[in-house]
Amino acid sequence: MQLNQMFKKTKDNYIPLKNTTAPTGQTKPEVPEGLLRKCNMCGKAIFSDEVKANHYICPKCGGYFRVPAFKRIRMITEENSFEEWDTGMDTKNPLEYRGYEEKLASLREKTGLDEAVITGKARIGVHSVVLAVMDGRFLMASMGEVVGEKISRAVERATKEKLPVIIFTCSGGARMQEGITSLMQMAKTSAALKRHSDAGLLYLSVLTDPTTGGVTASFAMLGDIILAEPKALIGFAGPRVIEQTIGQKLPKGFQRSEFLLEHGFIDAIVKRDELKDTLEQILNLHVRMPEGVGNDLSEQSSAEFRESEKPVEYTVEQRSLALEYRTAWDRVQLSRKQGRPVGEHYIQELFQDFVELHGDRYFADDSAVIGGVASFYGRPVTVIAQAKGKNTKENIARNFGMPSPEGYRKALRLMKQAEKFHRPVICIVDTPGAFCGMEAEERGQGEAIARNLYEMSTLQTPVLSLVIGEGGSGGALAFAVADEVWMMENAVYSILSPEGYAAILWKDSARAREAAEVMKMTAADLKQAGIIEKVIKEPENFTIETFSAVRKNLIREISDFLARYDGVSSGELLEARYERFRRM
Amino acid sequence: MIQKVLIANRGEIAVRIIRACREMGIETVAVYSEADKEALHTQLADEAICIGPANCAESYLNMENIISATMISGADAIHPGFGFLSENAKFTELCEQCNITYIGPSAATIRKMGNKAEARRTMIEAGVPVIPGSTESLTDAAEAAKIAEQIGYPVMIKAALGGGGKGMRVAKNAEEFERAFQTAAKEAKMAFGDDTMYLERFVENPRHIEFQILADKYGNVVHLGERDCSIQRNHQKVIEESPSMALSEELRQKMGEAAVKAAKAANYENAGTIEFLLDRDGSFYFMEMNTRIQVEHPVTEWVTGIDLIKEQIRIADGRKLSYTQDDVHITGHAIECRINAENPAKNFMPCPGTITDMYLPGGKGVRVDSAVYAGYTVPPYYDSMLTKLIVHAKSRSEAIKKMRSALGEVIIEGIHTNVDYLYDIINHPDYINGNIDIEFIEKMK
Repeated sequence: MQLNQMFKKTKDNYIPLKNTTAPTGQTKPEVPEGLLRKCNMCGKAIFSDEVKANHYICPKCGGYFRVPAFKRIRMITEENSFEEWDTGMDTKNPLEYRGYEEKLASLREKTGLDEAVITGKARIGVHSVVLAVMDGRFLMASMGEVVGEKISRAVERATKEKLPVIIFTCSGGARMQEGITSLMQMAKTSAALKRHSDAGLLYLSVLTDPTTGGVTASFAMLGDIILAEPKALIGFAGPRVIEQTIGQKLPKGFQRSEFLLEHGFIDAIVKRDELKDTLEQILNLHVRMPEGVGNDLSEQSSAEFRESEKPVEYTVEQRSLALEYRTAWDRVQLSRKQGRPVGEHYIQELFQDFVELHGDRYFADDSAVIGGVASFYGRPVTVIAQAKGKNTKENIARNFGMPSPEGYRKALRLMKQAEKFHRPVICIVDTPGAFCGMEAEERGQGEAIARNLYEMSTLQTPVLSLVIGEGGSGGALAFAVADEVWMMENAVYSILSPEGYAAILWKDSARAREAAEVMKMTAADLKQAGIIEKVIKEPENFTIETFSAVRKNLIREISDFLARYDGVSSGELLEARYERFRRM
Repeated sequence: MIQKVLIANRGEIAVRIIRACREMGIETVAVYSEADKEALHTQLADEAICIGPANCAESYLNMENIISATMISGADAIHPGFGFLSENAKFTELCEQCNITYIGPSAATIRKMGNKAEARRTMIEAGVPVIPGSTESLTDAAEAAKIAEQIGYPVMIKAALGGGGKGMRVAKNAEEFERAFQTAAKEAKMAFGDDTMYLERFVENPRHIEFQILADKYGNVVHLGERDCSIQRNHQKVIEESPSMALSEELRQKMGEAAVKAAKAANYENAGTIEFLLDRDGSFYFMEMNTRIQVEHPVTEWVTGIDLIKEQIRIADGRKLSYTQDDVHITGHAIECRINAENPAKNFMPCPGTITDMYLPGGKGVRVDSAVYAGYTVPPYYDSMLTKLIVHAKSRSEAIKKMRSALGEVIIEGIHTNVDYLYDIINHPDYINGNIDIEFIEKMK
């Protein structure tokens, strides 16, 4: 039975309530101004106070609203620690643009801001930082003279006071109303940041929706580390301009944070509610702790560290004597075995507070290379690993640990960053070889490897390379121009795979087993030949489950390595590195 | 003056409220989810507004959309029914902010009574009996034993972080106490990683007795007698009746006075229910206050002759109660059975589906509050209650006979229902003899 419109509606027959004692003429229901708002992403009605209480995130779709500058400062800094600088600067009207002054006056009235950026000093955790936060409500936070000036002054003062700079960008670009003066702000802010960087100081740039035009093409993209909020629009030309120019519709997600991450231009996407913690973690790894605040290890970490001081001798159950007599081919197979710990495991087991940094800043982020900053028991280090996957699915995603040119370029970028901040570099080598494919050649695989050999030879910070599995040819060497190269007992390191070697010399890749013996590619052979410095023993069945003994020994060895190179001047360091290869 | 009411609910209670409004000459606005386009409440109301998809978080719990629907329709009041937003202080507060008459108590009252600890404190202050228990958390057995002595045996030992019966033990006397305390604490430590415990008087096989109260804006409070809701399965009421066999006239008066005191202590306004546990020795303890209309309100309506929904609207409209406690009389006996779309053979699994054929009973003393009709498809997204069957007769035994006859007439084809299961309960000798407590169904198995 369909009930549609079958019941009588009694609308016209209403008998009003009688004997009412309630006051008549009460006001009609009405939603008070500002109680509800519409989410411009999902279109749903939401409560304004819930949005504010939830980091300006839509409670329905999780979309991000733009955050007013002072709210942002409150979100990421310690309470009452913000000290505002350079307030009340006068905005000029160089083009005598009609209505500009009136527009500014009404915006000042409406937003309570005097310009589109707030600058000053604040604390995040224990660290004092210089902050600049743009506010999109003020002429889409376009950069005119005052914005450029306030940022430049803040950066200059940070350079003088030796403080890190954090800039939250959100801008439509240069301010049209101020003409060429606006354009010059790009150069001015960039120049101030260059001086700050040359003084060895940290600049973190956090890109929020939207960051475009002259801001993207200046300070936004110059961070030592560039973070972005999810789904933020980031680009030089606006999407509408591009569409009009090329006469095509742009794909979904074009110029969003995720697109930039994939294309290698930002280090990481960080959710808004994790931003403060992430900034604090990065600062901890870059900035010396203030006097009186110990760089304390967690109880667990320091216990682990103490534990590692005693060398671990393997028991008979862990290692039978037969291990010493494995053939080279056995070891080739072990080095490739699924279940053997991979780069990610080493990072996770040997280091703390790892922050992965992505991208080569030119073309892409190569998933065959994992790199970032971490703490090695209280000491900041840069760790870069060639990354095989932990299983087949991951292996496909990581291209079986075969880096593309952008992988080598990312590694080099992170090494240069380590040099700037005087952090030792620890490279983990595990690759069948550099990826050979058309795209790799198109983007200069050979050039990328060569560049790494060239630049690593004079990198002014200690470099340690640890070959943990396959050390395949030039693809491995581009991670191993180091002060010391160590190998896991069953790792191999060679000019080519034994299969390739047999194919070239004997026209028969099936003779790989024979080739392996001839090539002198095992850790023991290479140690004897003086190609590497150290061999790290493995338990009999080496997996992540049996990692603990290896871990203790590696922690001790790495800690000795760092101590060994601590007092070495950079001249001596580079001379020794030069000689290390010169004699080979 | 209320002219148009939006009913922020679905199912039979929405229909019940729409009917009351129709009789009062008040326009009605139904809200419905995409799954409820064919629902009776949607069809019966003067206007109906879709407020979102089937998932109730996006529809019947979607405060933003319900407020918007109120604005669009021009309704001046909201009736929340039961369940959904009916005890949500934030929603009530929103109505207050938007100048919408909320048919129920104030946000402050809902918040206060919704907080167990605060409700308990309020009742202690007002002199309403609560289950005696420890006020601080305990870890030491010897110290706990002293407190157990003060509370009086038998005591229930409960884990502070407890749930699911873990870390719970009953000690009947002091000899049993230490051992029970230690086992419970050990269990709590294993299950929750914390062995903080507290104690409560253990009420053995109590009855669930609740009192209906009505309170106007001017401090007048009356109670409308009790309901015995002891027939429960997994803490869900199955059959309710009024009056209760367990209450003497004297006890009824005592408990009724306590209920009125409780309502006054909570600054209560509109219809509400005070739930008590009644021990075999006649002592009773406040459990909680329900700050809304209840499913089982029709049994009270029938024995008192008072239309509770209309009273709710009148009170919300600012009118005074037109009677005092002395004018309230209990006449005869009423019983309600909840008919659910569920399969007793499969552990009462809900079974949505299309009702192919249906026949519901009628006649003198038989009332059906229903949301279903032949051809209606019960959606899988909501509570499985389809219909309430209520009977009224001069005495309890006559009422039971009437219920037996009426249940025997119920035909709902196409889906499983619990009708036969209800029939079994009604015919159980212990039920007929009035020998019931909250363990009744557990013992019936």
